Amino acid sequence: MKLEILNEIIQKKSSSQNFALLTNLTNGNSEIFEFGKLLSNDFESYKKQIENYHSIKKNGVIDGTQIFIQNFTKPIEVIIVGAVHIAQYLVDLFKNLNFVITIVDPRKFFITDERFPNVKIINDWPEEIFKKLETDSNNALITLTHDPKIDDPALKHALKNKFFYIGALGSKKTHTKRCQRLKESGFTEEEIASIHGPIGIKLGGKSGPEIALSIVSQLVLESNKLLLNSKK
Amino acid sequence: MERQIKRTILEQARDWFESNRKVILARVIQTWGSSPCPVGSNMIVNDKGEFFGSVSGGCVESNVIEECLDLLKNNNSFKQLEFKVSDDNAWNVGLACGGEIKIYIEKINS
Repeated sequence: MKLEILNEIIQKKSSSQNFALLTNLTNGNSEIFEFGKLLSNDFESYKKQIENYHSIKKNGVIDGTQIFIQNFTKPIEVIIVGAVHIAQYLVDLFKNLNFVITIVDPRKFFITDERFPNVKIINDWPEEIFKKLETDSNNALITLTHDPKIDDPALKHALKNKFFYIGALGSKKTHTKRCQRLKESGFTEEEIASIHGPIGIKLGGKSGPEIALSIVSQLVLESNKLLLNSKK
Repeated sequence: MERQIKRTILEQARDWFESNRKVILARVIQTWGSSPCPVGSNMIVNDKGEFFGSVSGGCVESNVIEECLDLLKNNNSFKQLEFKVSDDNAWNVGLACGGEIKIYIEKINS
């Protein structure tokens, strides 16, 4: 592989882009693939298959060819509302996964550099923050305060902007009330049902680290769904 | 507290190259059955035999390093390696998990 390709991968990864590295296993040529990019003769005739593999983030030797595709995907941007102790455990667990985290909380005693030393924090109301933050389907939202004043505006924003994952901490009772409020605000049953509440997969644990683990597990599972479904 | 900067395998490869080391990139390109590292896992090896990353969770790394050093010695630019189930001989390189993996090794050149 040429050094210039290695450098291009490093640069693209650091600027969080979606792309793939293609390698022709018969002659050793490599090239970067992105949607809409013109490919060289080595790869152009396999473009359709390359696009299919890339769209479901599938790595491998493309069926019936000698082309190896390795996908590099932009990290999922997770917004955590509530600088509570579960958020601290979440930061630890997300550290080695392909996620970028931002923690928001309007309460200044919660959201301090001492409590969250290695992560982006914003001390403001979610409503204000979302006015400035660009978000889309590559975002995930985790609400942890179970205070409607703080959580609800974030949930509404996430639903409207089609976040790929939305999870809200709180008991079944809290969640039922939350759903009722969202219904009154005009959200459809389907939209409301897309919220993971109570948040997390069932691991049976109740401690902070265990809840954090169940949230991270659910998010990882959701982020791998496209690929999992393609194997069925 | 200072922000911890995680050095990626590819960044390490570039650093080695820039300090005049010869560098080989090894990547898992196919797996069959159970295998500890998914397709796309990578590892880098330099001409001193130092390595970073992993392609099998420890089962075949030493063999891959030897193959990488051979590639440099023979002045080749790439090669495919295949590893299958290990037999009862404990010293034999192989995958105790019963899987099979194909690894592609290639030299980084300017």
